[in-house]
Amino acid sequence: MNHGQQSGEAKHEDDAALTEFLASLMDYTPTIPDDLVEHYLAKSGFQCPDVRLIRLVAVATQKFVADVASDALQHCRARPAPVVKDKKQQKVTSCSFSFLLFRLSTFDHVMNINLFFKQDKRLVLTMEDLSKALREYGVNVKHPEYFADSPSTGMDPATRDE
Amino acid sequence: MSNGVGEGGRTQSRESQGKRKLFQGSDFAYAIARMAVAQICESVEVNVYQESQTTREGLRFSSFQESALDKLTGVAVQYVQSVGKTAKLYANVAGRVEGNSLDVVQALEDLGSGVGFGGVSDTDRCLAGSSVVKDVIRYTGEAEEMPFVYALPRFPISKEKRVAPSFYEVGVEPPDEHIPVWLPAFPGTKSCHISEEANAGAIEVEVGSKENGPSLPSIQHSFNGGGLEVLKSPNDVRKSTEGEEEVEGNPFLTAPLRFVEKEVSPVFGPVELSINHVPDKNMSNNHRIPVLEASTPSDDINKENGFAESEDGEKKDGARPQQTLLRFKVGTLKRPSCLAIKRSVQEQGWFQEGGDKREKKLGTERIDLGTVVSDVK
Repeated sequence: MNHGQQSGEAKHEDDAALTEFLASLMDYTPTIPDDLVEHYLAKSGFQCPDVRLIRLVAVATQKFVADVASDALQHCRARPAPVVKDKKQQKVTSCSFSFLLFRLSTFDHVMNINLFFKQDKRLVLTMEDLSKALREYGVNVKHPEYFADSPSTGMDPATRDE
Repeated sequence: MSNGVGEGGRTQSRESQGKRKLFQGSDFAYAIARMAVAQICESVEVNVYQESQTTREGLRFSSFQESALDKLTGVAVQYVQSVGKTAKLYANVAGRVEGNSLDVVQALEDLGSGVGFGGVSDTDRCLAGSSVVKDVIRYTGEAEEMPFVYALPRFPISKEKRVAPSFYEVGVEPPDEHIPVWLPAFPGTKSCHISEEANAGAIEVEVGSKENGPSLPSIQHSFNGGGLEVLKSPNDVRKSTEGEEEVEGNPFLTAPLRFVEKEVSPVFGPVELSINHVPDKNMSNNHRIPVLEASTPSDDINKENGFAESEDGEKKDGARPQQTLLRFKVGTLKRPSCLAIKRSVQEQGWFQEGGDKREKKLGTERIDLGTVVSDVK
């Protein structure tokens, strides 16, 4: 009985938390617009006149996309950067000069350049990182590496008929 | 053969890329979703902790591969649709048509169960206190608020269908008794002609003033059946007017052509033949082109029968002075006409009744022709 009472109270708390959150959703504007979410929900058959529920779905979708994107970002960062051999790329900008000096005092020279290059690197969301990130969420995205013009592309020119 | 296959594949991939550039079938919602997903990716930050932990830098995505962005947008759209489908399922199972907040929570749990969330193994967990909701609450608290950049209109925009006016509205009585008055009028009724005229007028006006935005709704009102409200964005106004222009310009819906006699330009034969025959003008039968000579034996026959016909059935315009007017004669035998024929082979009238008058006219003409011929000479 005590357990029942406690669980009952907990349930009330949970209900209160949920209703509070739904009320606070009206202040928070999700990035995905309401009309768009409502359109896709209506397309799949979900009828709801309440705006708060649509906002809940919008926020949940935003969280999902953000999780996938952050995982992809981690994969992108974790990939080893290309080794810098060209002296031109060792030029530093004024804002990161002090940072580079700090790094030199503690790490290897090559490692510094690699890390420095990483800081300056422009991170691009690529299909590779995205497919690795989505695989954890159960979405299999296979991307072909290249498209060939003909079956003899890339073959030895001697064997090709021309 | 292999080259052909390869080339076909290449053109196919080009086509598919072209289609992809058009956002998978020119879907407005897909384009908006793409922008929203790009905004979310931009806001994602990975905190890089330095060794000394004095500075913390946030790494963000600076750009995307287009195919990667498309894939992520597709996944996000499918996520929303899956949530909706599952929530609808749970609502229907509970005997409801409209969705509940708990239906949505349950749907989110279903989608998140692959990844896992706290408390999924509990048997007596409460939906309201689901950790999925807590995660969302935490995300709301942590992430920066970034509203969508554009202001969206209410979509999907529904076009008001132009209803065909009924018999009653037009004021025309239905042709048959079995047709009630409230049914739409037939396309052939006079209301349609009126509307077609209005459409034709509207087409002219629209062609003249294609750029004018405010004039277009007024044109629509002029031939909308019953004062339908046109509350659309400018894009849709243009689209709808384009569609209506297509309907108005449809050649299959225009009125049929009336049977009219059309003047055809006269056909002139070669001039040399008539000049050759000028010296023969005195001869009644021979100062015309040889074609008529061929008909002379028939004339002899016709004299006997009193029935005149042209041999080759040629019909020539009487405007040419050098040529004769050949006419078909359909009808009965008449003696006086025989005599008329005897006078001039060429003067063959269409109808027996006016034959004499015509012969007289042609007789004068012949004199004139003779003078003309002399001039030519």
